[in-house]
Amino acid sequence: MIPLTAIILFLLEPEFALFSPIEWNGELFYFVPRFLILYLIFLSIYYNPKRAVLYGLIFGLLYDVFYIDIIGLYTVLYPLVCYIASWSVKYIHQHLTITTILSVLLVALMEMVLYYFFLLIQFTNLPFMEFFMNRLIPSILANFLYLMMLGWAFKYLIDARVLQKIRELS
Amino acid sequence: MPHFTNKKIIVLLVGTILLVALISFSLRDRQNATLPEQFIKDSVGLAQSIVAKPANYITGIFQNIQSLLNTYEENQRLKTRLEDFAVLQAEVNTLKSENEQLRELLNNEDSLRDYEPLRATVIARNPDQWEEKIIINKGSSHGVEKNMAVITTKGLIGKISLVTPFTSEVELLYTNNPNFRVSAVVQSEKNVAYGLIEGYDEERNELILKRIDSSLEINKGDKVVTSGLGGIFPKGILIGEITEVTTEDFGLTKMAYIKPAADFSMLEKVIVAKRSATVIDGSDGEGTNADLTNNTGIPGEGEEE
Repeated sequence: MIPLTAIILFLLEPEFALFSPIEWNGELFYFVPRFLILYLIFLSIYYNPKRAVLYGLIFGLLYDVFYIDIIGLYTVLYPLVCYIASWSVKYIHQHLTITTILSVLLVALMEMVLYYFFLLIQFTNLPFMEFFMNRLIPSILANFLYLMMLGWAFKYLIDARVLQKIRELS
Repeated sequence: MPHFTNKKIIVLLVGTILLVALISFSLRDRQNATLPEQFIKDSVGLAQSIVAKPANYITGIFQNIQSLLNTYEENQRLKTRLEDFAVLQAEVNTLKSENEQLRELLNNEDSLRDYEPLRATVIARNPDQWEEKIIINKGSSHGVEKNMAVITTKGLIGKISLVTPFTSEVELLYTNNPNFRVSAVVQSEKNVAYGLIEGYDEERNELILKRIDSSLEINKGDKVVTSGLGGIFPKGILIGEITEVTTEDFGLTKMAYIKPAADFSMLEKVIVAKRSATVIDGSDGEGTNADLTNNTGIPGEGEEE
C-alpha cells in the first residue's frame, strides 16, 4: 500500500498543477503541489527513515527526468528533506499537529532552495518579494490545507502498516 | 547533526562532485533525451495519461457547471454577435474563393498559412512550475517534431521543445528563455508591422514584442498574429492583443506589451500545428539559455520562431 500511495501521489501532482496559475486581481498566483514529499516526510517520521530516503531517491530521479530535465536536483532534495525530517524526530514530539507544521516548513525550505538554484542558473529573474508573495505563500497555504485534509489518512495508513509488521514479527 | 567519520566525509565529497557533474551535464543538453531518459519519459507518460483521463473528466464537469451558470449572459451576448456573424461569414466565403482563384493564377499552391492540425491531450504540467512546460500525449511516432507550434482554439501557447516516441514537451510562451522567439506581425488598420516576440514580463504577466519599425504606427488593442517568416510556425495564428506601446532602450525601434489570447491555466486539449509549407531549420541556440541577443552584429541572425 505504501509504495502504491506514493506512485498515485506522484502522478496526481501534475494534474493538480494544471489548475495553476490562478489569476486574481490581475496577479498570477502559483500553487505548487508537493503531495509526494509531504507523504515521504510523514513516512520518515512515522515509519522508516531509510525507506523514505530510498523512495525520495527513486521518485526524485523520476521527477527530474520526466519534468525538469536537470538530473540531480530533486534526486538530492527529496532524500535530503526526508533525512532532515527523520533527524528532527529525535528532538520533537511526534504529535500530528507538530508533524504537519514541520512538513510544511520543510517544503517551504525546499521551495527556497529551488528558487535560489533557478536564480543561480538564470532560469528565472523573479525578485524575491514577488516569489514570496505569488509563489511561496500560496503554495504553502495550499499544501497546508491538503495536509490538514489528508495528514491523518497518511498517519492511519502508516500506523496500519507498522501494526501489521509488529504482528508479523510476533 | 550526527558526528561525521572520515569515511562519511569522503562519501559526501564524492557525492557532491558527482552531483555537480550530473547537473551540469544535464543542463548542457536539455533538448535531446538520451535513451534511458526517453524510456523513463515514455513509461511515466503512459501512467500519467491513464491518470489524466479521469482528472480531465472531473475538470470537464467543473467547467460545465461554470458555463451553465453563465448561460444566460452568454446567450445574450452571443445573440448580438450572431447577427454580425452571418454578414462576416458571407464576406469570408467570397474572400476565400477569391483568394483561391488568385492563388491559382499565381501558380502558388502552398501557403504559409496551411498546417495539418494534430490533436493532443495535455497529460501533465511541470508541477514545480519554474519552467513553463506542459507534457502532451503525442510524440515522434505520431509525427510531432521539435519546434512545432502548439495552439489552442484561442491562440498560440508555445512550441515543442523535446520529443520522445510517445510524449512531447511544450515550452509555453510564458518562458524566461531569451532564445524563445516568435516572428510576429501586428495587424493594425493602416499598416503591417513586423516584430519579434522576445521574452515576457513577469511583473505584468505579458509578452514583449520587440524590434518594430518605429516609423509604423501601432495602437493599443491591435491584434498580433504569427508571421510565418521564422520558418517553422504557420502564418496567422493569433498571439494576443497589444496593451501598451513604448520605445525600446536605444530609441531605434518600438516595443509593445501583449496580452496573450490563449488561457494558460486549465489547458486540456491542444493542437500541434504541422506546417504544410517547407520547414526551414533554424538555429535556436540549441535550446540553451545562452545569450544570443548581444553577440551578433547582424540583425536577424540566430533568430527563428
